[in-house]
Amino acid sequence: MKLVVNQVGKSFGSRTILKNVDLTVHSHEFICILGHSGCGKSTLLNMIAGYLLPDEGSITVDGDEIKGPSKSRGMVFQDHALFPWMTIKDNIAFGPEVQKVPKAQAKEIAMEFLKLVGLEPYASHYPGELSGGMKQRVGIARALASKPDILLMDEPFGALDVLTRETMRVELQKICSQLKPTILFVTHSISEAVYLADRVVVMKHGEIAEIFEVGIKHPRSSHSAGFGEMMSRIERVLMDEEHLELAQAKVGS
Amino acid sequence: MNGAKITAVKDGGSCASTQVGSPVMNKQVRGKSPSAVSRFFQKYNILPSILFFVFWELFSRVNETAKFFNPNFLPAPTVLLQEGWELAKTGIITDSLISSTIRIALGFVIGSVFAVGLGVIMSKFKTVERWFSPILNLVGPIPTLALLPLFIIWFGIGEFPKVLLIAWTTFIPVLVYTLDGFKSVPSTLIRSALSLGATERQIFTRVMLPSAIPNFLVGAQVSLGLSFSALIVSEMMGAKSGLGYIIVDARNYFKISNMFIAIILIGLEYSLFSYLLKLVEKRVMVWRKGGLRDAIEK
Repeated sequence: MKLVVNQVGKSFGSRTILKNVDLTVHSHEFICILGHSGCGKSTLLNMIAGYLLPDEGSITVDGDEIKGPSKSRGMVFQDHALFPWMTIKDNIAFGPEVQKVPKAQAKEIAMEFLKLVGLEPYASHYPGELSGGMKQRVGIARALASKPDILLMDEPFGALDVLTRETMRVELQKICSQLKPTILFVTHSISEAVYLADRVVVMKHGEIAEIFEVGIKHPRSSHSAGFGEMMSRIERVLMDEEHLELAQAKVGS
Repeated sequence: MNGAKITAVKDGGSCASTQVGSPVMNKQVRGKSPSAVSRFFQKYNILPSILFFVFWELFSRVNETAKFFNPNFLPAPTVLLQEGWELAKTGIITDSLISSTIRIALGFVIGSVFAVGLGVIMSKFKTVERWFSPILNLVGPIPTLALLPLFIIWFGIGEFPKVLLIAWTTFIPVLVYTLDGFKSVPSTLIRSALSLGATERQIFTRVMLPSAIPNFLVGAQVSLGLSFSALIVSEMMGAKSGLGYIIVDARNYFKISNMFIAIILIGLEYSLFSYLLKLVEKRVMVWRKGGLRDAIEK
């Protein structure tokens, strides 16, 4: 699988959201797209998912242009978007079921992925009865159960508290080492990006500012060699010059 | 309410054991814990209704001697029970209950089915909505009762115009609420279904429909009240049975007690239908959380 974003631009009305975005994603890669809110990172992800179409340029998967949503590109939403009227198990079985997998087998697949995220005891609960972190784990399991070629995650841990975020990060890392999926992960947390990604794509004002190779060995922690350095390098790119000056002035005074 | 129920159950348990265990029950059940009677009323909130009838009875009895107004205008509940029994023996009550129930059930179901059907089509095809919604806006606000004489002229005084009137009364609110339900399905739900490989049809049957059910049920609750007035009025004009017919018949012969009997039966029948709808709601909406009851524990 090879995803190529080629010279993509998008504008809503007179506002340009994205311009000249180039990005190539290979199989089994974990890529984080990092940027301030409003930098166009979610728009890029929505276009790769097929919910939006680019105004300029093209997005292709193995040479085929993306024309709409597809089960080969799974999505995890910030607000988890679970079906509230289905039990957890049915939520996860939804993907296989609509893809014509026999019901019994779909349920088996659902249980398998529930086990992966450690939520088997909650199989017959409804999403409303679960905590935020659990819901998001179900969201990930549901997206994975359709066996997508690439998993798109739109600030999946953005609505979670700091502690849960930390646990979810570790958990996602574990799932990745088990399944080796291809992941495109949108976030605005630098540490999250450095912790998870093989490559960090930093976006600013609708353009890709820089791409960093995070060469740190897994499992990573904030004490891993080079972790802090990578973070400050990304931070320097991410922060606008004026902001940086302001920060320095504050430190000076 | 919830908390009260829980304590009631707990006390019930301990009380039962003391009853079996020892005769000194009175000592063990302290003044603090509620008695069996008050527990019963905690569970079934019928005390206000009982008091209502008791006061009515007292007032009517006093009025019979004191003559604030003609005692015939407000018969006592016990008198109504006797008269009701007499009336029931003629078979008219059973007949009327059956025919009214059939009319309302039929009209309600037909109206709901057509409303959901048109709602589905309207939300699926923009052109249909463009053509239909101005017309619905035009005829929707007309009180259906205004149409009844017309219906009778068009379709006669048989069952058809009555059922049609009830169906029409059900149709409009159910359609409006259901359409609103289809429109307010969160877009992320549709997006996630698309990304899981659902076809447009599957999205409709497995995401849009279940997601609109709460709205549909609200519409059904709203229209149930309206449909009942349509039922009664349609039975008042050109019918040979039904609860509305009993009222008109009683007016013609100045049998006020029969009027009251029909009125009470209408209330009971409405409560029954409303209860059935609530049962359906409870079954379908087990996943729903919220409201004050879930907000804080009392």
